[in-house]
Amino acid sequence: MGRSMNLKHRIPLVVLSTFVMIAAILFFAGRIYAAGNSESTEQFATATLGVLTGTTCGTDAEKSFPEANIKYFNTLADLLEVLRSGKVDAMIMDQGTTRYLQIENDDLKMVGDVLSAIDMAPAFPKTEKGRELCEKYSEFTRKICEDGTLEEIDGIWFGRDESLRTVLDYENLPDTNGTLTIAVDASLPPFAYMKDRNVVGYDVDIAARFCEEYGYRLKVSNMSFDSILAAVETAKCDLASCGITVTEERAESMLFGEPVFKSGNIVVVSDGESAASSGGGNDNEENLSFAESIKQSFEKTFIREDRWLLFVKGIVNTLIITLLSILLGTALGFGVFMACRNGNPVANGITRVSMWLVQGMPMVVLLMVLYYIVFSKVDIAGIFVAVAGFTLTFGATVFGLLKMGVGAVDKGQYEASCALGFSDRDTFFQIILPQALPHITTAYRGEIISLIKATSVVGYIAVQDLTKMGDIVRSRTYEAFFPLIAVTVIYFVLEELLARMAGRIEVGFNPKRRTREEILKGVNTHDKN
Amino acid sequence: MIKIEHLQKKYSNVTPLKDVSTEINDGDVISVIGPSGTGKSTLLRCINMLEKPTAGRIWVDGEEITDPSCDIRKIRQKMGMVFQSFNLFGHMTVIENIMLAPVKLLGKSRQEAYDKGMELLHMVGLAQKEMNYPDELSGGQKQRIAIARTLAMDPEVILLDEPTSALDPTMVGEVQSVIEELAGSGKTMMIVTHEMAFARAICNRVFFMDEGGIYEDGTPEEIFEHPVRENTQRFIWKSKILEFDIKSSNYDFRALFGEIDNFCLKNRTALKMSNHIRLVVEEMVIQLMLPVLEDPDINVTIEYSAVKENSKVTVKSNGHAFDGLRIENDLAVSVLKGIISDFHYERLDEGELRNLIIVELK
Repeated sequence: MGRSMNLKHRIPLVVLSTFVMIAAILFFAGRIYAAGNSESTEQFATATLGVLTGTTCGTDAEKSFPEANIKYFNTLADLLEVLRSGKVDAMIMDQGTTRYLQIENDDLKMVGDVLSAIDMAPAFPKTEKGRELCEKYSEFTRKICEDGTLEEIDGIWFGRDESLRTVLDYENLPDTNGTLTIAVDASLPPFAYMKDRNVVGYDVDIAARFCEEYGYRLKVSNMSFDSILAAVETAKCDLASCGITVTEERAESMLFGEPVFKSGNIVVVSDGESAASSGGGNDNEENLSFAESIKQSFEKTFIREDRWLLFVKGIVNTLIITLLSILLGTALGFGVFMACRNGNPVANGITRVSMWLVQGMPMVVLLMVLYYIVFSKVDIAGIFVAVAGFTLTFGATVFGLLKMGVGAVDKGQYEASCALGFSDRDTFFQIILPQALPHITTAYRGEIISLIKATSVVGYIAVQDLTKMGDIVRSRTYEAFFPLIAVTVIYFVLEELLARMAGRIEVGFNPKRRTREEILKGVNTHDKN
Repeated sequence: MIKIEHLQKKYSNVTPLKDVSTEINDGDVISVIGPSGTGKSTLLRCINMLEKPTAGRIWVDGEEITDPSCDIRKIRQKMGMVFQSFNLFGHMTVIENIMLAPVKLLGKSRQEAYDKGMELLHMVGLAQKEMNYPDELSGGQKQRIAIARTLAMDPEVILLDEPTSALDPTMVGEVQSVIEELAGSGKTMMIVTHEMAFARAICNRVFFMDEGGIYEDGTPEEIFEHPVRENTQRFIWKSKILEFDIKSSNYDFRALFGEIDNFCLKNRTALKMSNHIRLVVEEMVIQLMLPVLEDPDINVTIEYSAVKENSKVTVKSNGHAFDGLRIENDLAVSVLKGIISDFHYERLDEGELRNLIIVELK
């Protein structure tokens, strides 16, 4: 691909790759636990290091390389992209993930010793129920560890045979003892990731086997890693398991079971020479023309494993959230406006405070507050919480627009209508509102567009919208740009569609577009003219 | 028809109406005139409750509209209002503006409302504008439509709040002619206006408003020809006033004469008039009064009427009673002979300044 050409001219990478070569040789000699080679990580003391947000890698990086410039990234795909493009010199990653990445990415090499040995374990809420489940789960973990099942699972998910990587049909297990909800971030292969529209992975495999044995049905709730920890703390799920590192700090707010995976964070670099063969495993990729590489990206992003279905699901979710929020938000804004219109001091006071709260809060924070605090005790799908959150903000916007539009109508219009004998209500609906609407329809349309874009943060509360689906696909293809641009194009199309719909309404609100026949419906004018 | 008792309207900073009581009879066409800020519009707006009175009571057709239980909407339906700023509904065509209220409020069929609307549009001369929107019309046309809209409700009373004040002078005539025609139709009307000639021509009764109420109430002849009270006279005659007090014989008369010159200049009196006023003040105050007053306290008011083109000098002073006849004779024999058109002396019964002299100048 085009970017790999540029890479070759990056001198630091060339230098780095020399070290990486050596590291690679040593690595292949000793496999993972033999990482204690003579290769030194001193060269990274002042380098730029990339880590994944919400993992322990950041802490380890800070401890081991206090002078280094540490950069945080949200997805593995992003991290790999910056590593390959030289924006970071190395990344800190746990060995497990790295091992998996190496299956498809020959360019990745581990360097030096593990920075810290880490255990990965499922996390449970600190509740009665959580404690009980934790014990059962730990017992199960110990059992499969002893009888060799765990090793077998390791072989499946870290092996090279793709066909072996399947899990039980956990959604249709008999729910003798009920259903367990497991929170995962399905962008962390091999622990948890999307495959053929299902969430699979090392951790999911264990969880499914556990459920089968103990008579549970399993429900997977896919959310961003940041949100998982919050979901466990607030008992929004029964357990969370997707390569979660055990730390003392985390143990304060959640319960960790028996570790299911032993690993360690280690420095990983990319060997620029073989970077080009990343992803598809196509050796001739370098020689592909631009059009062919686009075609290949398209195939990977949309066709393979029927990933287009993920996008469709994402679009549907984004549209549901947007449309419902527009409808409910408009109704809410209008209702509140009507309640406040005649200067009721109580209604006005409440409105002022709520507007201040809702509009002042970053959307992500508002959604997380709603999901993890306000609705923490209610079993409610994230998508409805998203609708609630966006209804609130859109309602506040509509309220503001109405206030502006009605304020723009001359006071004399109100007086003239009252003087004719119309009631306050009739005056508002027949005289004021029709004249206020044209003032605000353009702004309203703009707000709808903003709303669609704003919904892209709902991934934080376990809703798989278009953006989240894009991230999921990226976490599988490790392509930074194509899925992003594809998502952007889809957003453009959605925006255009909604804008056109709103435009239709706008035209409908314009009284001057009516014809003479419409205006004089039911009136015979011939005798007069 | 309309009875008002002790009506008061107070705002936090001003009180335009202090105490108004009056009765308006069926068929009265009343012009409400007076200086600005005297509550003319407020009075009109209180009558249809667009302004809520602070105190007092108003009855329309025997029904008390200031009673909170009264359905003011029903009253408003028979009381049309025409505004200074027209207030046509911007999102509707001319004919819709006229049809709206009869259809929605009186339950008329659209056909009926349309026919009546077109009839009214013919009357105000704008039948061809039925499909236009208000912002496509001139000010005069808008106001004629507004009048037609009011008439469509067939009101018993029509309140017109400065209907021509917002208009270009060239458009005042077309609106006035419509109102004039209306005034002849026998409907009860109240019109706030600054156009004196027009007010006089159409009404049978005039309210002159000042000092927070109806200051003088009379027929057009009474108010416009022979106003009785001081403020009415000043308003009708467009009088301008200069007032000063002289409390010492060392008073700076040079400065005073300068002020008189300025006053005359500003009000564009004839040069002759300016000289005459100075003469009168000089003669009366300096020559006649100051020499005989031990501790002078003289109040002089100069009033110039642009309408009558005459001036009036009123002098009040302390001290003994003057010999009225002697003053007149003295004045007459001296320089003032021929410029005074009227002279009046009076000894008042009470107050500090009991000598009152009024001189009128041509």
